[in-house]
Amino acid sequence: MPAAAIIGAGLKIAGGLFGSSAAKRRARRLARQLRAETKKLNALENSRQQIVNPYSNVTDVSNLAVSQAQKISNPFANLSVATKASEIQMEQSDLALANTLDTLRATGAGAGGATALAQAALQSKQGVAASIETQEAQNEKMRAQGQQTMEQQQVAEAVRVQGVQISEAGRTQQLKGMGRNIQMQMRETREQDGVNYQRDKIAALTGAVNKAKNASTNAITGMLSSFGGGLMGM
Amino acid sequence: MENKNIEKNLFLKQLNESGALGFDKDFIATSYDVNFDILGKAFEGTGRTYAKLTMAIENNTCVSENCEHERKQLNILQEAPQKSLDFLSEIISQLSVVEDPNFDPNNNFKYTIANSILTEKPGFSKSHGYDMVLKILKNGSLELTFTGPMFEEPLVLNSSALESLQQLGVSIVAETPDVNTLMMKLLTNIGLFTADQLIDGELSPTAVIADEFIAKNPDGSYDYEIIDIGNGKGRNILKFDMDRITRKAMPFINAEVAGVLSSEQDAVALWNVYIAKGTSVEEDAQMVQNANAANESWSYEEDLPLSQDKKVLFESKYIEYFMNNYLSQFITDKLPTVEEDAAVFDLAEAKKAKAQKFIEDNQL
Repeated sequence: MPAAAIIGAGLKIAGGLFGSSAAKRRARRLARQLRAETKKLNALENSRQQIVNPYSNVTDVSNLAVSQAQKISNPFANLSVATKASEIQMEQSDLALANTLDTLRATGAGAGGATALAQAALQSKQGVAASIETQEAQNEKMRAQGQQTMEQQQVAEAVRVQGVQISEAGRTQQLKGMGRNIQMQMRETREQDGVNYQRDKIAALTGAVNKAKNASTNAITGMLSSFGGGLMGM
Repeated sequence: MENKNIEKNLFLKQLNESGALGFDKDFIATSYDVNFDILGKAFEGTGRTYAKLTMAIENNTCVSENCEHERKQLNILQEAPQKSLDFLSEIISQLSVVEDPNFDPNNNFKYTIANSILTEKPGFSKSHGYDMVLKILKNGSLELTFTGPMFEEPLVLNSSALESLQQLGVSIVAETPDVNTLMMKLLTNIGLFTADQLIDGELSPTAVIADEFIAKNPDGSYDYEIIDIGNGKGRNILKFDMDRITRKAMPFINAEVAGVLSSEQDAVALWNVYIAKGTSVEEDAQMVQNANAANESWSYEEDLPLSQDKKVLFESKYIEYFMNNYLSQFITDKLPTVEEDAAVFDLAEAKKAKAQKFIEDNQL
């Protein structure tokens, strides 16, 4: 009975002291374990991968659908009237007139012949002018038709682009929403798991620490009954 | 100081374990008085003081105004018996650590001597010049003083100082955590084993690392390493995907280290007894006895709180210790799980077959 001799207060105190000290040691060890487990849990939580939105990199690609409307042009917008041909025709008329006049002079024809010839030349030139007018009218008509077709195509393209933009934006929003939802669910589950785990662990260890502390206190209370009164009489 | 602690602690340990005193003629011829009577002496005369104080208060003959001082002293005396037992019990509890098999001899050797006195170890009796005295101080705290030949100066412990340390979860003697328990727990937590490999939270004796961590060929078959077992014969052994294992295990290992470092005195004890030398489990058993971390030891007096450099060093060595002593056995020389692949084969033929397969696979 080693402690009995140490403190000289009987077997009960000796046993109590060693019983209490064992419980104290157990409590201390459990308290350290509790601290370590808590730290470990915190470290684990901190080191876990970040919850990422799997759709966070989804981008709106509607800008890829570029309107081609500006590239649509009226192929008849710059139609030119073929005046060169008319000029040649007129030049030819003048040349023919000059040649005829030379012939008339050589053959001694009268002024009446020259007048008739001049009228013919004039008629020819008038024909050329009429041809130019016809061409211009035709061109104007084609230009108008081209403009109408171009405008129709521009509207159709704008409608197509708008459709793509709306569809893509809708898809992006939907994916973002789904991503956010998954993110929230994962975080919720994880945090709840972590909290539960920590709570369970701490509760178990805290209970064990308290139990060990109580065991130590009870042992000392037991010793006091055989020790306290006697000491006061010394 | 470090050498003195190691030297004296190991000497005391060996003295008790060797039974040398049984063969010491002087020792067996000396009387053995261990009646220190510390409580009896501490409370000597307290009965009279108690009575005087009570009378003074009852008769209103106090020296102090409103009997404040007398009441305070009376209160101290009333609480003293429980406090004394609590204090002694705390000291016995903390000093008992020196008897642990994995006790770190870098702890102050005076605590080992004090424990030897408290537990009546041979050679530490009153007859051998040792003593311990408990005093109730005026402020109500208690003081236990150990004296004797092996102490260079008395060892004094105060109850209020101990109580404040208790609040912080700090002990005067560092207890070395059981490294085997820590490492086995870590092994089960790092996610390398499937649930069916665990029995009541512990690894079953036949536990193997989960299949997902075993290296495989693109076609899903196991990628073996061939080892030469002599006499022209060879065997397949499993190859492990170390990159994957490391990625899976590291967060748990880091968390474990963070947990250990939550009590730095524990970490120092682990370092000194197990981790510093990077030894094997078998060697550690020897180290506690006579080698320890020696000149690589960290001092409780000088190295606490641990510097960041030491924490980093501790972490890397702790991981190394875990990998070498615990994880290694599960990833070294493991035979195939596919029965036909586990058979012994002719090494030359196997090499030829492997070369042929390489040619075919690469259409050479």
